[in-house]
Parts: sequence; structure tokens; C-alpha cells
Amino acid sequence: MPLHLKLHTTPEVPLEAECICPDRMRGLSIDDINRLIVFHGNREMHLADFFECSGNNDGDIRVAGDLVNVKHVGSTMSFGLITIEGDIGVHAGAAMSGGKILIEGNASDWLAPEMLGGEIEVRGNAGHLVGSGYRGSTVGMQGGEIFIHGNVKNETGHCMRRGLIVVGGTSGDFTGVNMLAGTIIVIGEMGTRTGAGMKRGSIISLTKTSILPTFSLACNYSPVFIKQYLHYLLKKGYDIDSKIINGHFERWCGDAVELNRGEVLLYAD
Amino acid sequence: MSENIKIVENATCTFCGCVCDDMHLHVDVEEKKIVKAKNACILGRAWFSEHTIEENAPAAMIDGKEVSIEDAIEEAAQTLVNAKFPITYGLSDTTCEAQRQAVAITDIIRGNIDTTTSVCHGPTGLAFQGVGESTSTLGEVKNRADLVIYWGGNPAESHPRHFGRYAVTPKGMFIPGGKKDRTVVLVDVRKTKSAPVADIFIQPKPGKDFEILWALRALVKGKTISADIEEETGVSLEVLQDLTEKMKNCRFGVLFFGMGLTMTRGRHFNSGALLALATDLNEFTHFVAKPVRGHGNVTGADNVVSWQTGYPFGVNFSRGFPRFNPGEFTTVDTLSNGHADAALIIASDPGSNFPKRAIEHLKSIPIVVLDTKQTDTSKDAHVAFRTSTYGINTSGTVYRMDDVPITLRPAFESPFPDDEKILTGIRKRVHELMLARHSANGAIGEAKVAAPL
Repeated sequence: MPLHLKLHTTPEVPLEAECICPDRMRGLSIDDINRLIVFHGNREMHLADFFECSGNNDGDIRVAGDLVNVKHVGSTMSFGLITIEGDIGVHAGAAMSGGKILIEGNASDWLAPEMLGGEIEVRGNAGHLVGSGYRGSTVGMQGGEIFIHGNVKNETGHCMRRGLIVVGGTSGDFTGVNMLAGTIIVIGEMGTRTGAGMKRGSIISLTKTSILPTFSLACNYSPVFIKQYLHYLLKKGYDIDSKIINGHFERWCGDAVELNRGEVLLYAD
Repeated sequence: MSENIKIVENATCTFCGCVCDDMHLHVDVEEKKIVKAKNACILGRAWFSEHTIEENAPAAMIDGKEVSIEDAIEEAAQTLVNAKFPITYGLSDTTCEAQRQAVAITDIIRGNIDTTTSVCHGPTGLAFQGVGESTSTLGEVKNRADLVIYWGGNPAESHPRHFGRYAVTPKGMFIPGGKKDRTVVLVDVRKTKSAPVADIFIQPKPGKDFEILWALRALVKGKTISADIEEETGVSLEVLQDLTEKMKNCRFGVLFFGMGLTMTRGRHFNSGALLALATDLNEFTHFVAKPVRGHGNVTGADNVVSWQTGYPFGVNFSRGFPRFNPGEFTTVDTLSNGHADAALIIASDPGSNFPKRAIEHLKSIPIVVLDTKQTDTSKDAHVAFRTSTYGINTSGTVYRMDDVPITLRPAFESPFPDDEKILTGIRKRVHELMLARHSANGAIGEAKVAAPL
């Protein structure tokens, strides 16, 4: 039986609750968990002031309630499972290195910034800066996998270095901006300025999109690695037409103002 | 007009970011009015001549009722200390001395501080951090720049003396011919009143600045750009190639940019692209980039908040140390998301110019306002202070848009206290209240010393 955390008092101002994390709860009794520190705005309070805690502390945590004002859930987690039964606030899974976070609703901005490993699955939409670096940081996501079934906003994968981000719906502007390496797959439409400033890495889109003038068309081909990825996504529950899996892709090289070793692959058939 | 006229020489105009410090003010001391402002531009003349003192206005009010300044300070301090997510906002039309007090208050109450930078050149602040800045003073521009590019701004109307005092017509040490020795380029989506000043006017399609800047970066680096760019951006490849050659071959180039760049689609990436272009050009010649700032001391706000917290705007202290995250801790966001539960607004009027959702939330929380006049924000304030005007009634330090600090020479005294005095009073009181709270919780050290409180 997992550890159940049920929100009983809606926070009036943002609640910073990085203690909702298997690493920080490891080996603690229910009483100890109730006394974990959260920040309600500028006030230091206890987890029990907002959450009713029950069940077994075995690394599997289920969190219920209106959590849009709850920040930093699952930050730096390295093992276990957190299930969010609804929407979640900003910075969920920040710098996580292992384990899985399942968000059954929508995620807010800064989902898994500077992620190192593990997996995040969002059944709904996510906000800006998924798997990105924080402002001032030159490196974003460095490993792990993020699966979003809905839409995302701008700057997805901003300066990501490694890992996989999959978007089932549409993405906003600057997808993969300043990307260093890694893979982003967008099944729906992408916004403008995709891959601006990218050095390496692959951005794959199953629809046509506008391309910056600093990208050049290299070829039209059917790479095996995309087929592998798309088969993997089928297993993950994404709906992908078989003709796309076997279809051709335009390969655009860029960004010429940087190393010109990145690629944007657009479904061409 | 009385015969008792006082002349204030080398006074400073704090209307816009040019902060011209060569004003000669004629002050009618009896009427407490500036009757003439020699050297001022049309905006500066209006700034000085329309400044009046409402002698009968209350200096402090609580819920619309006149109170003593001491009572208002006590109520303001209690309001801020009792809040869980207090925000401080504004700061760009007051002195650096007052700004310092505002940062200290926010630090003590563990609040959130932001300036009007976040709604004008905030994206540029982000770009500085991400890209860096090749910079200079306006004095260097005056004396050295032979290529001046304005991008996304209309200084003829927003900063009328920018052309004449700093960048276009003045004769400089190495620019003896003034305008004749300079090439002026204007890039804007509209043909504004600045266009006649420009030797070259480039009119891109709206929202295509990033694509043009990116193409210019590629051309500067010797990469090939397709002629299709004209269809995308409205600017032909030939024009971009010509501009590239001019930029690479000038002796000292400068890119001035405004909110036409920072507040259109792409925002901080637009600013970042322009800053990166200036950096790229330094492989060929000397090139700098400067934002053209709006408010009189918005640059000072950036400087003060930066040297006190490490970050220029959008800084949060709720955990006891500064954290920077625009989009989360910027005021439009803290209000629109309903996070703030009290507000300290200094020399700004978000109640009249913020998004509707933000204004609605602002009206639902207690507000402490310091302003020289009644505003939409102060009408809804829980505690309102009327303060004197910086530069006209109050001395202090402001920063010009090129980060040069300038001392103010006030023209005449005001019956109202200045922002610094009020904020210092609030700072002292919130400090006492916070120490007392810590003491009550069994704190040690400094808090223990304050135990009698």
C-alpha cells in the first residue's frame, strides 16, 4: 500500500514542498513525515498542516488534492514513484535523477528542469520550459525521459544536453532552443524558431513547421532510429500512424550560427 | 510670476533614461514652480513646468482617511510583516537611496521584489545573463561611434535628446563632423518620426526581428543565407548583406534597442540575438549594444537590486536568501496567479497598466503605496503616502541608461517627505517587528537582544 498524502487545507500562497520526495521520506515514520518542513510563502510549517498522511512509506507516494499552488514536488528524487492525482505546480521533478513521477492532470511551468535521470509522464498538458535549464544556466536536462501526452508551451528542452522529451500534442516557440544534445519528438505542430542556437541533438516533428534561415536542407530519408523511437512511443501509449513510422523525413542541419551539427527532422510524406 | 526667481544650474531631468544633467531651471520660489527649463526637450519641459505641489493634500492616509506619517508607517509595517507573500514593486522613479531601503525591507520581511524592468527591458536582463553584454557609456558613443543602429525604438518621440546629445548629431573627439561622420540606421516595423534622421531605414514584417538578427549573425560569420528570407521577413538579402558590410567595416558601431524588440514575440531571445550579434561583430571591429531605457532611474533600480541581491529584478526572499526566476517571481505573475497577499508599491501605478487579472488581484489585497500624486493604485491603497518628487524636490543618485550614476540637484523643497525617509521608517519598524517575532519564538543572538520589544 503506498503512502497517501491528501491535501486538506488549500494553501493561500505558494507552498514549497520539496519534502514530498521518496528520498526525503526514506525510513521515516508517519509522525516524522507529518513533521517535515514546508514553506507556506515565507512561513516555515509542517507537512501535516496541509496534508493528511496515511499508508506505508515504501517509496510509492500518491498525492491528491488541488496542487496547482504546490511547488517543487519530487525535486531531486532518485528512486521510487510519485503519482499526482490531478494538476501540479511549478518545478515538479526539478533535478531528479531517478524514479518516476506520474502526473494524471496538467503540469505547470518548469517541469523537470535540469533533470538528470528517471522518468516523468504527464497525461495532460505542461507549461513553459519543460526539461530546461534555469535562467543563467547553460545546461538543461542531462538525462532521463519526459513523456507529455498533451501540449506544451515555449522553450521545451531549452539547452538540454541529454535525454528524451516527447510531446503528444503541440509545442510552442523555441522548441530545443540552445540545445546541446538529446532528442525531442513533437507529434503535433511546433511553434516558430525551432532549434534556434542548437549545437547538436535531434528535434523530430511529425508535422511541417517553419524553419529558421540558418538551417539548411540536407536530404530526404527514412532513418532507422526514428522508426525505433516511434515503435517505442507506440508502447508508451502514443497514437502514431503506421505510414508515419515507415515514412520519409526532411533533414535540416543547423544551427549555422553555432556548430551546425544539430538536426530538425520533419515528416515529409 | 513673482520676482523671486532662483536659478538652478546643471540640474538633472529624471523624466526618461537619458537623465540629461545640463538643465538650467528658473524657479519661482514663492509660487513653488519651475517657470523655465533651459536645455530641456519637449518631454523635459512638460516634466518641469507641470510639476506642482498640492499643499493641502494629506501626506499619509489609511483607508482614505488622513493620519499622521508615524501612524501610517506603523500600519504599513504591520501589514507587510503579517503577510506571507508580500511583494515590492516599482522603484524606477525614485532615488537609489530609496531603492536600497526597499530592498532591505523586502529582505527583512522575506518578500518578493521586482521593478518596472520586468515589464520593459526585463527580457534584456535575462539576455545579459545568458549571452553577456558588449557595452560602453554614451560618452564613448558620442566621441567614437561612426555607425549607429536603432532597433525597435522611436527615440525622436520617447527620448528626444538621444539624437542630439549622445548619438547622432553631436561632434565627438573622433567624430569631428557630427552627423556627417556617422551612418544612422533605423530598424522598425513602422516609419516613425525617427525615420527622417536615419540614413538607412529597414522595415521588417512585425514579429520577424529574431529571424533578421539571426540571419545577420550568420552573414557576419560568413554563412550563406537563402534569398527566401525576404518572403519571410520583408527585408531583402541584399539589404542584409549591405548592413553586414557596414557593421563589419565601421570603426565603432553601436546597437541601441527598445521595447519594439524586447516586448514582441521572442522577447529575451530577441534581445539575446542582438547582444550576440554585437559580440560576433567584435571579431571584426569594436561594437557595443545598449538598451534604451525608459524611466528616469530604472537603470538605478537594476543596479541597486543587482548589487544587493545578485539579480536585477524578480527576486524572492521567502526562504531567507535571494532567488531569481522571472515568470515566477515577477510582479505580473505573482499577481495574476493570485500569489501575493500584500503589496508595497513605490513610485509606480500597476493599477492602471497591468493585465486585468493582475489588477483584480491587486485590488483584493492590502496595498502600501508611495507616490507623488494620486494614482489608480493609490486610490485602492490601504496605506498611502504622498512623497516629494525626485530630481525636483529631492536630492539623491540616479543612473543614466548607460549605468553612469548622476547626482540630483533639487529645485525647491516640498512639504512632503521623500521616498527614502518613509521607506527608512518602514524598514526600521519591520526590523523591530521581525526581531520581536523571532524573540517570541525563542530565537537567539540578534533577536535575543531585541527581546524587550
